[in-house]
Amino acid sequence: MAIQLLNGLVYGALLFTVASGLALMFGLRRIVNFAHGSLYMLGAYVGYSVSHLFGFWIGLFAAGICLALAGILLDGAVFRPLQHRGPLTTLLVTFGLALITEDLVLSVWGKDTLSLPVPPAVGGDWWLLDTTFPVYRLLIIAFGAVASFSLLVWLKGSRAGLFVRAASYDPVTSAVQGVNTDRLGAVVVAVSAGLAGMSGVVAAPLLSLAPNMASDILVDSFIVVVVGGLGSVAGAFVAALLLGQINVLGVVFMPELTSLLPFLLMIAVLLLKPAGLAGDRV
Amino acid sequence: MSVGKAVSWILLAACGPLIAWLPFPLIMKSLLAQATFSALFALGVGLLIKQNGMISFGHAAFFGLPGYLLGVLLPYQLVSAELLICAALLLSGGLAFVLGLVFVRAQGIAFGMLTLAIGQAVYEAATRIRWLSGGNDGLTLKLPAKIFGLSLKVLQQPSGMLAVSWLVMVATLAIVSLLASSRFGRLTEAIRDNEERARFLGYRTLWPRAAVFGLSAVVTGVGGVMFALYSGFISPDTVHWTASGSALIMAILGGSGTSWGPIAGALVYFFLKESLDSFTTHWLSIIGVALIVITVAFPTGLAGLVPFARQLIANRREARLARA
Repeated sequence: MAIQLLNGLVYGALLFTVASGLALMFGLRRIVNFAHGSLYMLGAYVGYSVSHLFGFWIGLFAAGICLALAGILLDGAVFRPLQHRGPLTTLLVTFGLALITEDLVLSVWGKDTLSLPVPPAVGGDWWLLDTTFPVYRLLIIAFGAVASFSLLVWLKGSRAGLFVRAASYDPVTSAVQGVNTDRLGAVVVAVSAGLAGMSGVVAAPLLSLAPNMASDILVDSFIVVVVGGLGSVAGAFVAALLLGQINVLGVVFMPELTSLLPFLLMIAVLLLKPAGLAGDRV
Repeated sequence: MSVGKAVSWILLAACGPLIAWLPFPLIMKSLLAQATFSALFALGVGLLIKQNGMISFGHAAFFGLPGYLLGVLLPYQLVSAELLICAALLLSGGLAFVLGLVFVRAQGIAFGMLTLAIGQAVYEAATRIRWLSGGNDGLTLKLPAKIFGLSLKVLQQPSGMLAVSWLVMVATLAIVSLLASSRFGRLTEAIRDNEERARFLGYRTLWPRAAVFGLSAVVTGVGGVMFALYSGFISPDTVHWTASGSALIMAILGGSGTSWGPIAGALVYFFLKESLDSFTTHWLSIIGVALIVITVAFPTGLAGLVPFARQLIANRREARLARA
């Protein structure tokens, strides 16, 4: 049982690192990035190729950097020019980008499932509560914890974080007060994309690499963001942990209904608290 | 309705049976028949965009659901197949209406996510609950020899199906257009443009939007039923989210500002895909780029070209008159 809770935590950690970026972007630019799952997928494939040459850790690092750069490009070329066109425009454009990315991955890496081995340094099992648990999974939990802690420190402690929170609350007034929302947007999208890319690499040894991995994680991240409250990182944190547990417990207790449970959770939350668990808070 | 309009509707309706009757290659007729199923699918998606301003990423659920209901319930022979088809459509529309009562409360984007989630939930149910849905193998429909007085053999052969499904498509389009110009249609457009103001004027704003969602599910479901009748078979592919995505692209490509735009979009999409598939494998990129270009540069889609062309002709005529 405790092992199942840990497994739920593993998936929750991955979900949070992807969904927190979606929440940040929504908070700042009021947009939904349909290509966010594709960033996660691109990160995984870049990490796969680089780690074959230089090892896992450099692959992880490289994926984070590459995807952060892709994020800056995405913000400059798509989000900023389209910010006055209404949210549906960005949604459809990023949908188009997701299709193009899938084609790119299919052309470069093929449609077969690829697997990235667990790095040998963290390959073993640990004795935990009279059973064994793979060290790598603990590492994923640690990765999620570090990511959420750094985001917390960044958002609550730094000047840029203060601006991000202010701009999420009211972009126009913050801009009037002298916050450079354009530069802030580039930073936020770069951080979000980099995080998504890194979680793609981290997830790769656990789940395998396939061109459908983008849509799988996208659906779950969307649920996390809606349940947590659009634009709320703290809400996404709670919702990701909740969804991680629901997924794992669902597989154990009612395997046929697992896929419906997150969906039911989302409907319940929207009925009781239409703004999500966190409401307006960032 | 003016005489000219009535004539053009009749001409449009006659196109399908005419093509079915003329000696075109069977493969083309089969393709066109399949395009009409997608056109009905896109018509439902477009209806939701036009009347509610809402984008659905999970309409495939309502495309496949009536087919699955038929596949599961036909073997029991509780009622006649015709009644069962109507019941399946109403059931799936009713489900959409009830879901709509919850969904339309969600602001803009959250709605899209909810529909994506329902689509995914139905897909997972179709693949996982094997004893009911046959899993990845799908279900074979145990259809009777005659449906609505038409022999099943005729329905499952390209010419016959093309004629029937084209007529169904035009009839559905006519109903949707009538609805859009009715009081109900104008009310939903008012709510789409400013929900608060509509409520302030004394209108209830929840159920009309849910009703549009239910109706769009029924329209999409009609396409799904035609597909199921034609292939005699239903599989999880029909409820996968990529099917919802394609239908959405068709609706955007054709232009969701008019009722007929999505149908034009579906026909163009289908033939573009067929003709491009033979010499490139990069269909996904092509359609992705097309989606981006149309969304950014031509938000009115193909349907927007008609008033544009009309304006062009009018300008020419004026110039000619000015010269003369």
